[in-house]
Amino acid sequence: MNEVIHPLARKAVIWHLAVTALVLILMMIFGVIMLMNQGGMISITPQWFYKIMTAHGTGMVGIAALGGTAILWYFLSKYVKLNPVILIANFVLFLTGVTMVLIAVFVFDFSDGWTFLYPLPAQSAKLYGAAGAEFFLSGMLILGMGFLLLYMYLAARLTAVYGGLGKALGWDIIFRGKKGYGPPAAVVATAMVIITNSTALLAGATVLTASLVNIINPAITIDPLLAKHLTYVFGHIFANCTIYMAVIAVYEVLSEYTKRPWKANKVFLIAWNCSTLFTLMIYTHHLLMDFAVPKWMLIIGQVFSYANGLPVMVVTAYGAMMIVYRSRMKWDFASSLFFLSMFGWVAGAIPAIIDATIVVNHVMHNTKWVPGHFHTYMGMGVVAMIIGFMYYFNKTEGNQRHRGIDTFTIALYFAFFTGLVGSFLYAGGISAPRRWAEHLPQWVLSDQVGAVSGIFIVLAAIIFTARFFAGLRNVHTKVPYNKNSAAG
Amino acid sequence: MYQLIAMYATVFFVFLLALAFAFVYGESKRSGEYSAIQKKGYKIRKFYFLGLIAIMAFASVMTLGRLPYDSNQAEAEGFSETKVVKVTGIQYAWEMSEERFKVGDQVQFDVTSSDVTHGFGLYNEKMELVAQTQAMPEYTNTVFYTFIEPGTYQILCLEYCSTGHHVMVKEIVVESEGGASDE
Repeated sequence: MNEVIHPLARKAVIWHLAVTALVLILMMIFGVIMLMNQGGMISITPQWFYKIMTAHGTGMVGIAALGGTAILWYFLSKYVKLNPVILIANFVLFLTGVTMVLIAVFVFDFSDGWTFLYPLPAQSAKLYGAAGAEFFLSGMLILGMGFLLLYMYLAARLTAVYGGLGKALGWDIIFRGKKGYGPPAAVVATAMVIITNSTALLAGATVLTASLVNIINPAITIDPLLAKHLTYVFGHIFANCTIYMAVIAVYEVLSEYTKRPWKANKVFLIAWNCSTLFTLMIYTHHLLMDFAVPKWMLIIGQVFSYANGLPVMVVTAYGAMMIVYRSRMKWDFASSLFFLSMFGWVAGAIPAIIDATIVVNHVMHNTKWVPGHFHTYMGMGVVAMIIGFMYYFNKTEGNQRHRGIDTFTIALYFAFFTGLVGSFLYAGGISAPRRWAEHLPQWVLSDQVGAVSGIFIVLAAIIFTARFFAGLRNVHTKVPYNKNSAAG
Repeated sequence: MYQLIAMYATVFFVFLLALAFAFVYGESKRSGEYSAIQKKGYKIRKFYFLGLIAIMAFASVMTLGRLPYDSNQAEAEGFSETKVVKVTGIQYAWEMSEERFKVGDQVQFDVTSSDVTHGFGLYNEKMELVAQTQAMPEYTNTVFYTFIEPGTYQILCLEYCSTGHHVMVKEIVVESEGGASDE
């Protein structure tokens, strides 16, 4: 409970956040370029559009995972002694993987999307040369290995300290009638992420390796539908886990600001166990339009996607509202963003759940409705949590203070993000397809609204990042140090 | 129809959510005993939870009986003159065994791909997506659609299939029962 983060890990957290902030701006600019091209405001070649799209998707999911990892490590270090070498190893492998992905995209013209749907990379390799696909797939494999190493280490540490992942998820309270509270929220969330994301990474490694082998020796193939299952087990869970890592900051920080405990009671533990199970099960909602998949799997995709909304809606977001209610909490950069991030998460879950309804999916799958909902919970949820954590880190480890410009920037970011996701959802509603380099005239207005909103979002992100780097100058990086209270 | 329901439902529920967050924000400036807040909050949560379960159960009951996998199929089996059309996706075109249809035609599209995964998206003349399925190599996905309005329909690729994805479009003509389309 009273562990102190290792000074080297504190430095590594800074590196994680710095890379996250810088790559975030670059990826947002890529997003704006795509929208401007779809909206006819600029003109780039389709090949460049799809290269940028591949980099944007891979980069955004990557930095969400990187920022989420920084949050997880930082807060888990309060309860479990952790070896910073593992965090740094993951960071190095992440950068190696990202460099290979960037080489694949911008040197060897790889443009098959971050979901690299088999057998597309092999087909592209035949047309444009194998180097791009090989760099991309190998880079993703290395990146995934870094995270898998991290989770294996964390599993070992939770087992040593709490007696296993089951106990870290509160099974002795749920199933054996043990009284009291479970482990801290950071531990419960970490256990959930270890189980789900390790499964995702193993599935991802399998399909990445199969794709690579297929490129090297086309005689060795994999069933395309099996490959699709593995791809979405990987992609769906990996993307989801970014929010389950980042939300640790919400539990820790809102509790600190309100001076109210946010303990893992039985309902909390049941909710996190349900999230663990449902997150593993519901990737099939990506396959609802694959009619060859057994019907029962697709119905599971719908019903349990609905159910997966319950833990966040009934426990986490509701808990955040309850802890803030009549708390006289100090509203600053961190508390505002963490509170708003819970709104963003649930607001994104609503259109996502609607899209998981098979009859709706039949006329909305792969329209811009899909990026509409995932941009809501990634941009207004995960990214808001990560940016909130950047400020919290600088405040408690240094002396950053909230200023008027922070209030302005938060308002700017959320107002225009609402415009962006609104434009996506509207475009989905009028059947505009996603991942199209060029759009028909009736879809262009929504693209233009999205592009203009995106420009202001980039502006907000630049101000956030400048404030973060300015605040870093006063962060203590040596021991002994005095951690400041965030509660004000 | 489902697009409109999705949009209105999203706006309605997000608006309710925003109201709830705004209310809590407003109340955050006052102080209260947390144990009393928790007690009352947990009581309200029970009803909130049951309300969500009821909405989800209602949505499931209303929609799971209309799955595109079997309900249309069953309907189609009732008609002896169902047209079977073979559709193959290939970078970046759609090959179809038949391209002209009449209003009232009940069509069974057997969709596959000869290279990578594509998405068979059927758009009506107003460019509304009316049906889709994935076009997978080594698999055939069957989707049924009954043409009830004449006009020029388009098939758009809805699964990213490389740099010509957005040009993978095919027009098909649906003629009115008299013979010609309304064009």
